[in-house]
Amino acid sequence: MFERIGRAAIGAVDRFLYALGFFAQVVKESALLFKRRQVGFDVLIKQILFTGVEALGIAAAMALAIGAAINLIGSSLLAEFGQGKLMYSILIVVISRELGPLLTAFVVIARSGTAIATELGGMAVGHELEAYVAVGVNPVSYIAAPRFLGVVVSLVVLNIYFNIFGLLGSFAVVQVLKPIAFDVYFRNLFAVLTPGDLLSGFAKSFVFGIIISVVALYRGFGVERSVTEVPVAGIKAVGSSFMLCIFADIVMMAMQYLG
Amino acid sequence: MEGTSLVELRGVSVVRQGYTVLRDVNISLSSGETLFVMGVAGSGKSMFIKVAAGITIPEEGDILYKGKSLDRLAPREEAAFRKSSGFVFQDAALWSNMSLFENLALPVRVHEPRRGRAEVDRAVRRAAELVGYGQDLGVRPAELSSGERKLIGLARALVLDPEILFMDDPTADLDETSAARVPAILDELKSRGRSMIIASAVSELAQRCADSIAVLVEGVIAARGPYGDAMTWSDARVREVTGRLKARDAPEPGWLKGLAGAWVSAMADGVEMPDSRGEPRDDLAGGGLAGGEGGKD
Repeated sequence: MFERIGRAAIGAVDRFLYALGFFAQVVKESALLFKRRQVGFDVLIKQILFTGVEALGIAAAMALAIGAAINLIGSSLLAEFGQGKLMYSILIVVISRELGPLLTAFVVIARSGTAIATELGGMAVGHELEAYVAVGVNPVSYIAAPRFLGVVVSLVVLNIYFNIFGLLGSFAVVQVLKPIAFDVYFRNLFAVLTPGDLLSGFAKSFVFGIIISVVALYRGFGVERSVTEVPVAGIKAVGSSFMLCIFADIVMMAMQYLG
Repeated sequence: MEGTSLVELRGVSVVRQGYTVLRDVNISLSSGETLFVMGVAGSGKSMFIKVAAGITIPEEGDILYKGKSLDRLAPREEAAFRKSSGFVFQDAALWSNMSLFENLALPVRVHEPRRGRAEVDRAVRRAAELVGYGQDLGVRPAELSSGERKLIGLARALVLDPEILFMDDPTADLDETSAARVPAILDELKSRGRSMIIASAVSELAQRCADSIAVLVEGVIAARGPYGDAMTWSDARVREVTGRLKARDAPEPGWLKGLAGAWVSAMADGVEMPDSRGEPRDDLAGGGLAGGEGGKD
């Protein structure tokens, strides 16, 4: 039994070190992508299009819904306790600092995390990755680096859009249901919005982008021989990304509020 | 570099999921040599050829290219090795998200980025013509039959006119007509001094093209020698593989005859055959495959 536990522990450490090495290689190749100007550049554009642009609709709809809900509930419920102005703080905390980065990360996990892991898995099974090696193209620089950069950039940009739709767009939605004066809304909103809030959201999106892309790439590259491994890679990419993003969110939140 | 092997495997062992696929393999390939690696299914031929081409990294041992370990090649040297080597996968392994043209163009664009669009186009079309693929290159691999995919995989390996070719079962999945082109292509490559390592269980192909034979039995090189010696090997496990090999003066096998065989024979005799447009074919003449007017050598 002890032998089995020991073997499992060694295996886990091996996998962790391998993942770290993989991460380091992806970062290195990403840094060299622009210098090399190799064929991977169009992959980067396609990845941004898929992860960022095509996910904009879902992210915008979520931001509008959440922003409008906070507006509606905050303006009536908090007013009963004479704390109407707290609505703006809640808007900022939820949209910009906490929920925005996390929800956009979840959207990207569901769309791009699975797509990247299963696509790479399929390529591995079809020996397409080996074919890249055979013609002298490093799969990490051509396949992984553009996807890594594409997901990170997209997530940061998506979060900016989430903020715009959550803070500004929701105002427009609320005007239909329960009008608030334009100048009152924005004066109060910008009174509580600090650069730290925006920076926090930016930092989280950046970290989540790294986690989602590296996990999906790692799982995709991990497929070896069978097509049945492909959906498993997708499922594992989603599960691991969710857990790691939530964990990272808690850590960053703790650093922000306790540090 | 006189006397140095082009490719050499030293003490190579590969273990996959607890199973030893290759065990202490020591073998070398001279410049201009065509080495056939034969063995029954599961003997480790595919793994051997991937290891020899530096695609799969062995657990033990070293792969040397012109006397230098692949592990220790500088990035520029590694790029030169990749440019001068072509690999034909057993299942073609075309990039499914690219058109056939892009599949063939990528190696050219990677290794010769200064080439203009017209030159890349010319290299791609020459390679496709060489393997006898005259259809639309704008389609994706999924729209092809497995045989056509295999031909494009062969064309991709040839597009840069490599010095050395690694082929994993080059006639697998090919119909009789397409399979009949392969020996002609190999003959042409041999005549131009190209080196080849070919993993194949097809005795007829070995009989026609092999300079030397290596027999893999359960991941171990059980026999290795010139083609002429293969008929004299007496080990039962080796004979199981080489038993169908015949002396070079034996009659040609049936699948090399017929219409396709006539084309191949004509090529071997140096006779120009008309292509489908009724024009003489020049793709097998020694003009080089990579789009240069006179080849690179």
